[in-house]
Amino acid sequence: MTGIAAAEFARQASTEHAQTLSRPSLSYWQDARIRLQSNRRALVSLFIVISLLILTLLGPVLWSVNPAAQDLDQISVPPGRDRSALVVAEYTPWVIPAGTVAELQLADTATTQSVRLQWAGLPGAYGHRVYRNLYPVGPERAYGIPLGEFFDNSTLNFEDRLDLRPGTYYYSVVALAENGRPGTVAETLRVDVRRTTTVNEALAQGLVGSAADIALGDSLQVALHPLGTDYLGRDMLARLMEGARVSLFIGIIAPFIYVLMGVVYGAVSGFAGGKVDQVMMRFADFVVALPFLLFMILFKIAFGIGPGESGIFPMLIAMIVLLWPATARLVRGQILQIREQGYVEASKLLGAKSSYLIFRHMLPNTLGVVLVTLTFEIPRAIFTEAFLSFIGMGVAPPTPSWGSMSNEGIKTMLNTPHELIFPALLISITVLAFNLLGDGLRDALDARMRNTE
Amino acid sequence: MIENSTPIADRNDNFTRSAGKQLAVYALYAVVTLAVVVYLLAIAAGHTGSNGADMGINVANNSITIALREEPPQLDTGRSTDGASVIVLSHAFEGLIAYDEEAQLTPGVAERWEIRTDGATFWLREDARWSDGQPVTAHDFEFAWKRAIDPATASEYSFIFYSIKNAEAINTGQLPKETLGVRAVNDRLLEVEFEQATPYFDKLVAFVTYFPVREDFYERTDGRYGADADELLYNGPYMITEWVHSASMIWKKNPYYWNDKRGFLDEIRVAYITADTNAKLNLFKDGQIADTHLESPMLPSAMAAHWQIDRAMDGTVFFVVFNHRPGRVTDNLNLRKAMLYAQDPVELVNKALKDAAFLPAASLFPVWVGGVKEKFREEYAAPKHQMDLEKARHHLELAKQELGLAAIPPLVLLVDAQPVSQLAATYYQELYRQRLGLEIRIDSQIFKQRLAKMTAGDFDITVAGWAPDYDDALTYGEFFASWNLQNRGRYASADMDADVRIAQTSLDQKERMDAFGRIQQLVYDDVAMIPMYERGWSFVVDPRLKGFRRRSVGPEIDYNYAYIDVSSD
Repeated sequence: MTGIAAAEFARQASTEHAQTLSRPSLSYWQDARIRLQSNRRALVSLFIVISLLILTLLGPVLWSVNPAAQDLDQISVPPGRDRSALVVAEYTPWVIPAGTVAELQLADTATTQSVRLQWAGLPGAYGHRVYRNLYPVGPERAYGIPLGEFFDNSTLNFEDRLDLRPGTYYYSVVALAENGRPGTVAETLRVDVRRTTTVNEALAQGLVGSAADIALGDSLQVALHPLGTDYLGRDMLARLMEGARVSLFIGIIAPFIYVLMGVVYGAVSGFAGGKVDQVMMRFADFVVALPFLLFMILFKIAFGIGPGESGIFPMLIAMIVLLWPATARLVRGQILQIREQGYVEASKLLGAKSSYLIFRHMLPNTLGVVLVTLTFEIPRAIFTEAFLSFIGMGVAPPTPSWGSMSNEGIKTMLNTPHELIFPALLISITVLAFNLLGDGLRDALDARMRNTE
Repeated sequence: MIENSTPIADRNDNFTRSAGKQLAVYALYAVVTLAVVVYLLAIAAGHTGSNGADMGINVANNSITIALREEPPQLDTGRSTDGASVIVLSHAFEGLIAYDEEAQLTPGVAERWEIRTDGATFWLREDARWSDGQPVTAHDFEFAWKRAIDPATASEYSFIFYSIKNAEAINTGQLPKETLGVRAVNDRLLEVEFEQATPYFDKLVAFVTYFPVREDFYERTDGRYGADADELLYNGPYMITEWVHSASMIWKKNPYYWNDKRGFLDEIRVAYITADTNAKLNLFKDGQIADTHLESPMLPSAMAAHWQIDRAMDGTVFFVVFNHRPGRVTDNLNLRKAMLYAQDPVELVNKALKDAAFLPAASLFPVWVGGVKEKFREEYAAPKHQMDLEKARHHLELAKQELGLAAIPPLVLLVDAQPVSQLAATYYQELYRQRLGLEIRIDSQIFKQRLAKMTAGDFDITVAGWAPDYDDALTYGEFFASWNLQNRGRYASADMDADVRIAQTSLDQKERMDAFGRIQQLVYDDVAMIPMYERGWSFVVDPRLKGFRRRSVGPEIDYNYAYIDVSSD
């Protein structure tokens, strides 16, 4: 047996560290931030959400146009239209000139204020009917919109003031037969209408400093509406920003409150377990079964929302009261799962108190789920508000919201699409942005996804 | 490890990128496919459209297809109140007196008649027949009227009989219905006794509630009279042969109808019952229906399609009614004057409502109502209104002093949920805020709720529309009589009541019209209301259908004189 010499033994060189951390230590939140930052879609969405908030809060300061003010000279004007207008005198009733004319002609310059027509009696006419068309009259004898009619030959003039836009119109005068029905004899006149404004209107709109600055016959630019105007000449941009307040208020406040309620309720239920859990979850099931729209109407009545008052508050209450169970269920499920985890058991064995368990182990682990729910609930709430305002259960006029603006815009969708497109686009973009952000947050906060890298 | 993490992230990134590319390609395919499908469907839809072109006007069968806005709840002449029922009943029934093509009174079942201070006599024609071939007799009218005034029938239009002797007492249950002042002397002679002189009785009997009902048939229906097509007996140009509830109706020419000049069409098919004007416009475009009305947003496309657009006044006058009940701020004349002078109906119609068929209202009486010889408004010009902000603000100051208020409290504007009412309400809200600094709160309610609030006086201002029941200025003139239940603002004035009494009872047409002239001025001076607009319709009719009418009084749409003419003139 050869013994082992002591010399064969050498002392292992001592090292300071048994192992080196190959990557910097990252807390949960730091890691989540890094992953969120590498998600371009989520970042763009976040950027959009922040710009929306800026638009809501700072927008009205920068673009301080009254969203309820009606610019009746510019009704349903799409964005980017030529804005030059001729300054003319205030409208005065037409003093019909004496004497007759040979044919259908303009008695005055055609302006957006009025178009004044005069004509000679048509042969064999028992009266006349005046039409206005956007197109030249063809062989179909389609003269356009009937504007007025006179059942005798004593009136041979007509003043049109109906919704005049700058552009070309074709006016026709058609002879009426003895029974008052339009006949076949007609005369047509092409009229080019110019946009006009008055000194008073220019002053009221703040286009000029004082009446001395402009004179009749001057040309000026009428008030700018970057996104056009709606059917009552109200500025679309100002209304969209005002509407964003309502939409985002409901969209952010309501989910915050009811998600918080859901978290507390779910956590208590899940942690307590047993009978308490059973009873609490059956109550949650009961709330889920309540019809939202019906309750919305009931709340509106119960709160005594009087005429002309906004239905936003009952809407908020209805959402808070009825929408929390989804979060509560989710959080309860998470808590039940976490409760059985080894580290919770270990913590318990080491003598941790309930409050420590809840705040140190349970809530942080559900936070990811909660945040994701929150970001998905926000678009849902915005959509609910839009829907309720669309069916007339939301805001009261003149307060706009994106939903009610869409509702109004849809009526004139074919002629002036911008009144529908802008609010609808904003709803879509906002909802999409919050959804994508929620998606990104889920990816970033999910602890299981963290392990895969 | 740390250097490894970057490639992994890169790989991940690459993966996302290629997945994104894949997704974009799929999306492109989807969009292209969708576009192709939509295009093909559009072509297919175009073909079905041209196939159905014979539906609206069927020349071979001499029939047309139409759409009604609503379905009549039932067709009992004694109990009908709504516009849809009036349309159907006016084609299926005929009263003693009817309206001709040009909306003038013309003999109906009565050949001739006589109206005196104390009563009226109607001589019935021999050849008027029910749709089972039996003659229409004076007894049928006596039975119908006594039934309609019977409180058990609970007719909402019973008040239209109140000029007949004892009618009001019977309707309130004080007298038996047999005491009604109407008597069939024989089969062809009907005697009416008046409670008070009623010079416009000839116009009243053209209304649907005055249409005949045959007693033996009525008894046979066992309480289901008017509920279905076979629970009715007709005496008009058309009879309803088929009625599928809430879907369709078929009206066929009545072979027993006495006047061949009416009922040119063999069949009218009510194939659609819908209030959706866009759907109706599409049906008309495809040639599926013979006529449709156009809302102002539809006019540009109607012009582009080169249709011949027509227009007609609907008869309804809209106005802003104030609540005159004591205690309301709107009871103050100066406040009402301020609100009157701050607005202009011309601006409302031309700038806010933008409907070519609407006429800015200037008076309680619409332009088409008849006067002594000519139109009433030609003989008695409406008060000249001009917007005057100086005057308006002056009256507002006076109102504040009289009311002892530093500022006028917010006013509640009660409107219905119709888009046009909402539009007008929003317009007024901003107008009064800007011009007078008044705050208006809009209270929009559905029809029944609004009616309840109007009746209870739970408003400051409201928008009211008044449609005529008969073709006489009185239907408008008595609106503000203190006893009229329709006068929901409870406007009361001794002068008004006195003039309404004259208009109701005087036999002298000039005296009556003078009274209406004074009423017109009084309404303006007292600002009982602010006129808004007279409603009209723009509409299109298939050019092959002639003689179609839209009416201010009676049925809104009238095919009684319609016929098909394919020759183009």
